[in-house]
Amino acid sequence: MSTPARHKDGEFRPGDRYDVPARAAGGGRLFYYLTVRITGLLLTILVLGHFIVTHITTDVAETDTDFIARRWDSVLWLLWDWAMLTAAMLHGAAGVWISIEDYTPDHEKRRRRQRLLVSISTLLFVLGLIVIAAAIF
Amino acid sequence: MTLAQLLFVLALAAVLVAVVGFGFVVISSAARRGGGSYLDTGLIRRLQRYPEERAEFNRWAFYAHRFTGFAVFAFLCLHILDISLYALAPQAYDEVHVVYGWTPMRLSECALLFAILFHTFNGLRILAIDVADLGSRVSRRLLIGAVVLTALLGLGGSAIIMAPVLT
Repeated sequence: MSTPARHKDGEFRPGDRYDVPARAAGGGRLFYYLTVRITGLLLTILVLGHFIVTHITTDVAETDTDFIARRWDSVLWLLWDWAMLTAAMLHGAAGVWISIEDYTPDHEKRRRRQRLLVSISTLLFVLGLIVIAAAIF
Repeated sequence: MTLAQLLFVLALAAVLVAVVGFGFVVISSAARRGGGSYLDTGLIRRLQRYPEERAEFNRWAFYAHRFTGFAVFAFLCLHILDISLYALAPQAYDEVHVVYGWTPMRLSECALLFAILFHTFNGLRILAIDVADLGSRVSRRLLIGAVVLTALLGLGGSAIIMAPVLT
């Protein structure tokens, strides 16, 4: 542990900066951290943009098959939706994964739930990929 | 109501049940081991302390982040399924899509917007805390900013979403 900054009276006060002890950057932990942060940053633009296009600039009642067909004529929107699907599934599954970790003390039950999460996420991700691929071919 | 619409509404209800259930898990876990950050009569008193002692706000931000994240992910799972109808059964897609224009569904879309906005701004705050090594004072101010932005943009967006059924 490195020493946090102290005041002259030797007290720590709320708001003091604590130097974070150097943690062995284990591959898994670092990979998880970077995945969540990078996909999160991408999603701020991808998801808010998606929501604006489907709810603000276009009323949601107008987003029928014609709307999708028109939008998916453009490679940009196909790329957008593919990137959004990939980032959202990674980010969401990672978040639920760590929640299961926190809320399931029993080791066996935890592994079962995490396996279930991975199966469902993978299935939905593949389904999403198929739908986007079907729009291309 | 067609069969596809009925199935969609039932699936949406299942998503809502899952989200509420997850909320209970988060709150009850907080009550067990979250250091007092739970809903009880002491909450108002705890939040009236001096700002320096109000680290509890950050814990509430953590619970809200988790809850909104789960809610958005749960909806996303349903959303992938209903969009997949576009490729598998376009007729059914158009039927289900009509539900999105109904008033209760529009209200859930407003709730979804608030969840996305809070999760986005609080997420950016967490990133800023890590990258710029912000102290607790600045991060608390950023939290207030995130909540204010969520409220403003959420209300504005909700007005636009609800406008077609209100007029």
